[in-house]
Amino acid sequence: MIWIGDVLVSRGEGGVYHERMLGGARVWDPYRSKLSALYYSGISVELTPAMRVLYLGAANGTTVSHVADYVEVVYAVEFAPRPMQDLLELCRRRRNIIPIMADAARPEQYAPLVESVDLLYQDVAQPDQAAIVLRNCVFLKPGGTVILMLKTRSVDIRREPAEVFKDTINSLTSAGLIVRDSKWLAPFHADHAGIVCIKP
Amino acid sequence: MVLYGHGLYFCVMQSYWFGDIEDGYCTKFTGDLHAVIDRIQSIFTCMDTYIPLDWEHAVLCGVCRDREEYLARIQAICIGAADRSIREQFSKKDAELLQMIRTLDEIDMVINLLSEKAVDWYLIRHPAFSRKYRRTPVHALVKTMRERSKGALGTVAAEIERMENTRTILAREVSSRANDVMPNTSALIGGLVAARLMSHAGGLLSLSRLPASAIQVLGARSALFSHLKTRSPCPKHGIIFQHRRVHNAPREVRGKVARALSCKLAIAARLDYFKGVAEPEFLETAQKRVDEAGKGSRS
Repeated sequence: MIWIGDVLVSRGEGGVYHERMLGGARVWDPYRSKLSALYYSGISVELTPAMRVLYLGAANGTTVSHVADYVEVVYAVEFAPRPMQDLLELCRRRRNIIPIMADAARPEQYAPLVESVDLLYQDVAQPDQAAIVLRNCVFLKPGGTVILMLKTRSVDIRREPAEVFKDTINSLTSAGLIVRDSKWLAPFHADHAGIVCIKP
Repeated sequence: MVLYGHGLYFCVMQSYWFGDIEDGYCTKFTGDLHAVIDRIQSIFTCMDTYIPLDWEHAVLCGVCRDREEYLARIQAICIGAADRSIREQFSKKDAELLQMIRTLDEIDMVINLLSEKAVDWYLIRHPAFSRKYRRTPVHALVKTMRERSKGALGTVAAEIERMENTRTILAREVSSRANDVMPNTSALIGGLVAARLMSHAGGLLSLSRLPASAIQVLGARSALFSHLKTRSPCPKHGIIFQHRRVHNAPREVRGKVARALSCKLAIAARLDYFKGVAEPEFLETAQKRVDEAGKGSRS
C-alpha cells in the first residue's frame, strides 16, 4: 500500500469524487471508505498489481476506484440502478473495472462472467452477510483472501454489535474459512467491523 | 447453444459469456453485443457443478487474442448489460412516481420551513401583529406579506406562493399517476398516501412483497424500533394514519381500522403489481370490511 507520510493514497486518474490529491496521488479517505479505514486501523492486506478482485456492493464506485488503482481487474457487483449509473461512468474511464448489475446473494446471475479471483471484498447492507460471502467463495482461489465489512446494524438492529460480530465469525469459521484478522472500524465508521479471512 | 432441461448433462457443461465448454471442447458463441447480453441473462448456472471461468479458454475459443482484449470485450459487454438493466428498471411505471412523491414531500417541508422563517421576519417588522384569536391560514398570511413587504421579504413571500403553486400541480400529477400505477391501493387509501407507502417500501414490487403488518407501521420506524428494543407500546399506524378513515376513527378502534385497512392494502398492492388494473369486486368487499372495523366499537 502506498502511504505518503501517514496518508493512504492510490495512484490513478483523479477527480472521481472530488477527492483530495497529494503529490499527484489520490487521497483515500478512511471516513468515506471502509477499506481505507481498515488500513488505518492497522490491518494490512496488500493489494498488488496482479490481483483480481471480486467486489460485492460496489455502490457509487468510491472505494472501487481506489482498489482499481492498485490491482489488475475489479469485478464490481452492484444491485441498485442509481449507484450503478455512477459506477458505469467510472467504468467508461477505467479499463479494469467490470460492472455487474446483479444481486450479490445470487452468484448464479453473474457466474458466466466472473473468473477466479485473489480477493473477495464484500460491503453489502444485508442481514445475511456471512452467507453471501460463503456463496461467493466459489470464485475465490485457494489461499485467496476475503475481506468482509460487517455492518452489524444491518444484520440485526436489536442485538449488540459485539454479539452479531461473534456470530458472523462463527459461521465463517464453521464453513471452513480461517479468520486471520478482525477489527472494529471506530472512529471512522460506527458499529462496523472489518474481518479478514483466508480460504484454505 | 444452451441446452435446457437436460438435467445433469446441462450442469456439467460450463456456459460462459463467450461460449460453452464441454469435454474440453469449446463452442464459441457468435453474435453481436445485444445477442451476448441476451445470452448472459438467459444462462442458468448450476452452482454445485460450476467451475469458475478461465480467461485463457476464451483465447483458445478464438474470442480474443490476449488478456487486454479479453478485458476490453467483457467490460463492453458488462457495461452494455448494466445499461440495459438500468433502462428497464427506470422505464417501470413506479420509478418516476417514486421520485415525484419524494419531491412533493420535500417541497412541503421547504414551504413549511420557509413560511415559518418569513413569518418570524414579518413579525419583527410589524411589532403589533399577532395571529392569536385569528384564523389566518398560512397561505393567506404569505399573501399579505408579499403585498405589504418591501425588498427581499416580499420576494421570499412571492417565492413561497410560487412553490405552493408548484406543489398543487405536482400533487395533482402524483394523484393521477398513482391512480394509473396502483389503481387498487389508490382506491382504498387515495393516490397521495398510496404513493407515499410505495415510496417508503422502495417500489411497487417491494410494497407488494410486504406483509400487512409491515404496511400498517410503514413510516413509523422510530416508534417501531423503540418498541422492539424497549418495552414501549408498538405503533398502531404509520403513513396510513394520513388517511381519513384512520385518523377520523374513534381512538379505541383506530388500531383495528389500521389493521383491517393494511390487510386489504397488502392484497391491493399485490393486485396492482401483478394485474395492474382495478378490481371492483375486491374493492367493494375491502371497503366494507374497513368500514365494519370502524363501526365495531366494544359493546
